[in-house]
Amino acid sequence: MSGPEIAALSGALAAHLGISAAALLLAVLVATPLVLLMPARPWLRRWVMGLASVVQTVPALALLALFFPLLVLVRNLTGLPVPSLGLLPSLLALALYALLPLLRGGAGGLAAIPDGVREAARAIGMTAWQRLFHVELSLAAPVVFGGLRTAAVWTIGAATLATMVGQESLGDLIFAGLQLQDWRQVLLGCATAAGLAMIVDAGLGLVETGIARRRRGPALVGLLVLALLGAGVMGWWWHSRPVSRARPVVIGTKTFSEQYILAELIAADLRRGGQPVAIRSGLGSGIAFQSVVAGGIDVGIDYSGTLWTQALGRSDVMPRAAMLAILRRDLKARYRVTIAARLGFENAYALAMKRDAAERLGVKRISDLARVAPQLRLATDLEFQSRAEWAALQRAYGLRFAAMRAYTPVLMMAAVGDGSADVITAYSSDGALSTADVVLLADDRGALPAYDALLVVAPGRDALARQLARYDGRIPVAAMRAANWRADRPDNKQSPAAAARWLARETGLE
Amino acid sequence: MRAGNPPPLCHKDGVTQTPFLACRNVQLSLGGRPVLAGIDLAVPAGTLVALVGASGAGKTSLLRLINRLLDPDAGTIAIEGQDIASRDSVAVRRGIGHAVQGGGLFPHWTVADNITAVPWLLGWPRAQRQARALELMAMLELPTRLAMRFPHELSGGQASRVGLARALAASPRLLLLDEPFGALDPETRDALADRLLALHRAQGLTTLIVTHDLADALLRADLMLVLDQGQIVASGPPAAIVAHPHPAVQALLAAPLAQARAIAGLVPR
Repeated sequence: MSGPEIAALSGALAAHLGISAAALLLAVLVATPLVLLMPARPWLRRWVMGLASVVQTVPALALLALFFPLLVLVRNLTGLPVPSLGLLPSLLALALYALLPLLRGGAGGLAAIPDGVREAARAIGMTAWQRLFHVELSLAAPVVFGGLRTAAVWTIGAATLATMVGQESLGDLIFAGLQLQDWRQVLLGCATAAGLAMIVDAGLGLVETGIARRRRGPALVGLLVLALLGAGVMGWWWHSRPVSRARPVVIGTKTFSEQYILAELIAADLRRGGQPVAIRSGLGSGIAFQSVVAGGIDVGIDYSGTLWTQALGRSDVMPRAAMLAILRRDLKARYRVTIAARLGFENAYALAMKRDAAERLGVKRISDLARVAPQLRLATDLEFQSRAEWAALQRAYGLRFAAMRAYTPVLMMAAVGDGSADVITAYSSDGALSTADVVLLADDRGALPAYDALLVVAPGRDALARQLARYDGRIPVAAMRAANWRADRPDNKQSPAAAARWLARETGLE
Repeated sequence: MRAGNPPPLCHKDGVTQTPFLACRNVQLSLGGRPVLAGIDLAVPAGTLVALVGASGAGKTSLLRLINRLLDPDAGTIAIEGQDIASRDSVAVRRGIGHAVQGGGLFPHWTVADNITAVPWLLGWPRAQRQARALELMAMLELPTRLAMRFPHELSGGQASRVGLARALAASPRLLLLDEPFGALDPETRDALADRLLALHRAQGLTTLIVTHDLADALLRADLMLVLDQGQIVASGPPAAIVAHPHPAVQALLAAPLAQARAIAGLVPR
């Protein structure tokens, strides 16, 4: 592994362990009083266990994502500067997720204590606290610890998903690897998370054995294992972190190759100038911009059409120049975010078909497509069908397809290739367009806005924005497509950093 | 017995004295159901009292009241003339040896730790606790090698002895035993009952024992109390109980007496 790779892994591992431990601690602090209060209050037990069970049925990813609007709501209602991305939502969601096994274990452990033992503890004159610590808790320890171990393993696993809400974790490696089809990186992220979970489980298991048998030895060994794990991970991170103490410039990326490549391009550039840089990769599309607004990320790469609809909430279509002017003005006014550069290429939503099918059906433009659409199947990315662009296309062309299905972006080109779809949503800078036998259909009624690639800079980072202005107009679409293809092509695949180096040479940005 | 009657058995050796344990018109209901309806009782120091009666008659509840695990709805309980309601409940319990039904040994504590639970609560130093554990184990004929074992490693008889040892550990003057030999085979039960009787006499204890073993009660107790539906329907020395006309008493005695006669008939003369 290279130096930056090791730094990324050790950083992700340290952050992963940190967020998991904090979430588990929070869950234990919440669960403990509930467990102790529940036996005497059946109504409390019903409510708490019911609620925890409902939470468990929500997929972990959805739970993490739901905390974003919830915290935004809290911020708007209270006026307090509550962060809605990164650490806080991850901590809350993971803690909530860990609650059920802790409550089950705790309540089950206490309920399993024989009545005669409780009675004897009172009868010999133990105080309430003595009964709690010396009888109830230590007798319940095996079941309680069983719950704690389950909660720990779940939390460490679910923490990989915290990447999607902007919290650094081992999920960074997994999501970036999935997108780039870099299976080595995916495996590294998964194996590290699994290893972490197994060591924590074993350590807690030893502590459990010690408490249950009232033997100090195994408990101390277990605590030692956990302490060594924490110290080792933190030490490794400390040792391999970038040397500079200055706060790094944080570049955020969404989950596709173009974003990884551009982030590497800018990072290499800034590092040459002596600035430390960190890349936060794999953010959800909407969350990436929100992170820039919140200042958790200094530089984001976004698209004018996306910001137009998602950040400004507009559905009208305007000429490119006018749209950019409004974006510059309104993003500044509403979010204090600066557009530092328009990179020079567009990554627009477009509809595409296989060349031979398009020719056979006589389809060149989307208005041609409307005629034959009822016999065709449409494959879209995961978000297209709920985006404003789809509504705009339907309005402008009256499009109706025989079937619609959502795919992960990397699989869409394959879907049209093997005939499981006739029409796909494509991105105009997609590397595959430079080779695949597909044609983009012209938006002849101008229903879709422009998608100029932009560098957006967080509030208060004006010097950085000026520095990045040199990218304005420097990356033509052909160069971007070719660079994307280097990272996406099935054979002789390059890393985003290598593709970025190629792009820098190609565009003279070295 | 009714409220206001003089408490029974206030006399010993013809001398009137303050009873060691006295209950006056003690009433208790649990969950709206009457459990004890006016218990009057006076137990002289050094007496071995057997509480007998059908299940649900209120025997266990009476022991729990005396150890302040419950508080009565009405009436008073006094030990050595002092009303227990006026004392701290934890202090009352530490001063009484109470072996609860089923033993209630702490499964995660060693035999030695179980035995010296009350001395530990009272803050005895470690060495003294260890010595006391060994002393009690010897007294109850428990092999020393069991000291570091856990309750699940013990036989039923051994567990009963440990329960008894735990009740005796801090040298209480009053012993409350709730079916201490309930789950034992007759031979072990008999041996242990003899051991208990010897300890009771040797240490001058006042002992209340709840038992379903009528033969044990009749043969060893100084005084028997028959409870029926929350009331004491008969009290007195075993010889008086055997002749008591109350139907509940006769019902209780019918089976063991018939068995004893039948067994006697089998024995060759």
